[in-house]
Amino acid sequence: MNRAALLVGAAFGFLVAAARLSDYQVIHDMLRLREPDVFLLMASAIAVAAPILVILERRRWRTPLGGELKVVRQPIARRNVLGAAVFGSGWAIAGTCPVPAVAMVAGGSALGLAVTAGLFGGIALRDAIDRKAGRAPSAAC
Amino acid sequence: MDILPDRLAWYIAGPLMGLCVVALYALANKPLGATTAYSETISFVRRRPFESWRVWLFAGFIGGALVASILRGGFSPNLDYGKLGADVPLGLLVPILVGAGFVMGFGARWSGGCTSGHGLRGCSSLSPASLAATGTFMATAVAVTAVLHFATGGSL
Repeated sequence: MNRAALLVGAAFGFLVAAARLSDYQVIHDMLRLREPDVFLLMASAIAVAAPILVILERRRWRTPLGGELKVVRQPIARRNVLGAAVFGSGWAIAGTCPVPAVAMVAGGSALGLAVTAGLFGGIALRDAIDRKAGRAPSAAC
Repeated sequence: MDILPDRLAWYIAGPLMGLCVVALYALANKPLGATTAYSETISFVRRRPFESWRVWLFAGFIGGALVASILRGGFSPNLDYGKLGADVPLGLLVPILVGAGFVMGFGARWSGGCTSGHGLRGCSSLSPASLAATGTFMATAVAVTAVLHFATGGSL
């Protein structure tokens, strides 16, 4: 399980860096609606993954490491939308998001470290709030 | 070494990233997501109970990106930050980036996912929560970027 996660994580991190999603200017140009590439990248990822997941689930795919495939689907909750609005604001300012931020650091960006430190802090605070309130941590993903 | 193209095209990177989502589900029945990988890494460091596969996923993100940077001419320490780095003095840029990261992390964890967990994994699963979250963070980010553009007189 750990090895599978490491390999998939490595492939994902590699692709994020190779496609320059770890470049502020690429994300900024996307969000300025100057360049469609990153939107197309995300759409093509979903267009490839969605039908395969549907087929695997219908065929009751037994995963080698985790039993019968169960694709996570959750109904919309208020926090999904409120949190996403907060996340989107930070994304727009930093021009990067959680995986691209560590990919920045892996590319040698010292300022990527500043973003990553902030990410750790924000996530730790949200987790602490949820723990204190006795809520299960947010885990849609 | 300089083996990688300057920028891998979206029509290659996108489908392969989709296959990463599929691979983690098909092999291990686990949802790919970065925010929880950060969160579990924090638990690991603080010696709280944690899900180890998520920490390995996080390590993979860094390792894979490091390989890409090596194949693209090598790891090179720098202070670049695109137009934002050119416009904002370093002493101000660092707190802005820490703050933006903090806001992002807080929001993503609150929302239950980010661009990978909701945007790619969740939308690929047609999860209503992820579709709503993705629509919201895309719209918010485009709107905030437009505000920044006008607030900086078109500089950003």
